[in-house]
Amino acid sequence: MSVRLRAAAVTAAAGAIACMFPPFALAHFQMLYVSESALERAVETPMAIVFTHPFHGGPTMNMGVPRSFYVVSQRGEDAAPVKTDLSKYLQAIEWQGVGNKAAAYRAKLPREVVRSMGDYVFALEPEPYLEKEEDKYIQQFTKLVMNVGGVPGNWDRPLGLAAEIQPLNKPYANWVGGVFSGIVLSQGKPVPFAKIELEYVNHAPDLNAKAFATAGAIEAPHPSYENISVRADAAGTFSIGLPRAGWWGICALGVGPSTKHEGKPLSQDAVLWVQAKDMK
Amino acid sequence: MDRDREFARGKAVAVLVLITGSVWLTPAFAHAPLLDCYVEGDSVKCEAGFSDGTSAAGKKLSVLDASHKLLVEAVLDKTGAYSFKPPKGDYQVVFDGGDNHTATIYSTEIK
Repeated sequence: MSVRLRAAAVTAAAGAIACMFPPFALAHFQMLYVSESALERAVETPMAIVFTHPFHGGPTMNMGVPRSFYVVSQRGEDAAPVKTDLSKYLQAIEWQGVGNKAAAYRAKLPREVVRSMGDYVFALEPEPYLEKEEDKYIQQFTKLVMNVGGVPGNWDRPLGLAAEIQPLNKPYANWVGGVFSGIVLSQGKPVPFAKIELEYVNHAPDLNAKAFATAGAIEAPHPSYENISVRADAAGTFSIGLPRAGWWGICALGVGPSTKHEGKPLSQDAVLWVQAKDMK
Repeated sequence: MDRDREFARGKAVAVLVLITGSVWLTPAFAHAPLLDCYVEGDSVKCEAGFSDGTSAAGKKLSVLDASHKLLVEAVLDKTGAYSFKPPKGDYQVVFDGGDNHTATIYSTEIK
């Protein structure tokens, strides 16, 4: 076999192995998804609750029954926050990700839920998910912030989650090209130098079809771009850029206080969703 | 000398921008009044606020009929809200945020 042929064979074998184990930079993200986070007036709001890898639209993981799902709303900065349990709206569905289907949830939130003007901070505490590859549990405390009518309220207040990202910019009002900042919290206390992952929702979610679009909007030039690594500073504060319109997921890894679940390691992560819009 | 003149012209432009800015009010001002009303049982509930999160408590809310006759003049409660029995026919609700900053909603938009 000539040297060149042998090199070609090695390349082909390497290619085959790479296909079996795609070199994706995979990051888990618990999604809370709505198509629009800044509403002019209250409308029925369908929400998708999917545990996936948003840049690739999959693989999507089976979710257990969420431990809690609620919203804390507030109209005006000095108004009293109102907590509303939303677990009765959770509907178990199968979500078609890119490459596989998995157990997920949908919530058709009636207009009454978001009827008043103000901020709506949605929170999900999922059941820990066993990541078999790594033999560890992942539990992502997830927030999605919506606004109705432009009156702000509690968008910048923490909910007191075990693991939480406190936004320093309105998560529902961001121009493309803008900067978004937040503070990583563990039981309300800042986490210095927290490890943060940032991922773009590259496969458009379709709530009616209960699926991600098969085709991604963009291609990453390198695995490091699929899942962007960021660190919080010494005060637990971080900043990210928002280079493209759509949804961006921010996840702070392993910041919650619990590190064990059913005898295995547990990572309590904090996820926050941010929507960016083109300036046009 | 030239620089002084440039400076004066710059100042004049800035003043002009300020004046026109306050004439063409857009709802994205830092302290813009915001209003929404919806049907709740047999009443209409109106909620008012400001874009900077300031409370509308104690501010004025008016209900006018189609010929702009004042039907109700109310003071918003501590949550910035007011409920009333809707009149027959078309009407409009005006939230007076002060300094000629008002927000209006028409009965056809109230559901």
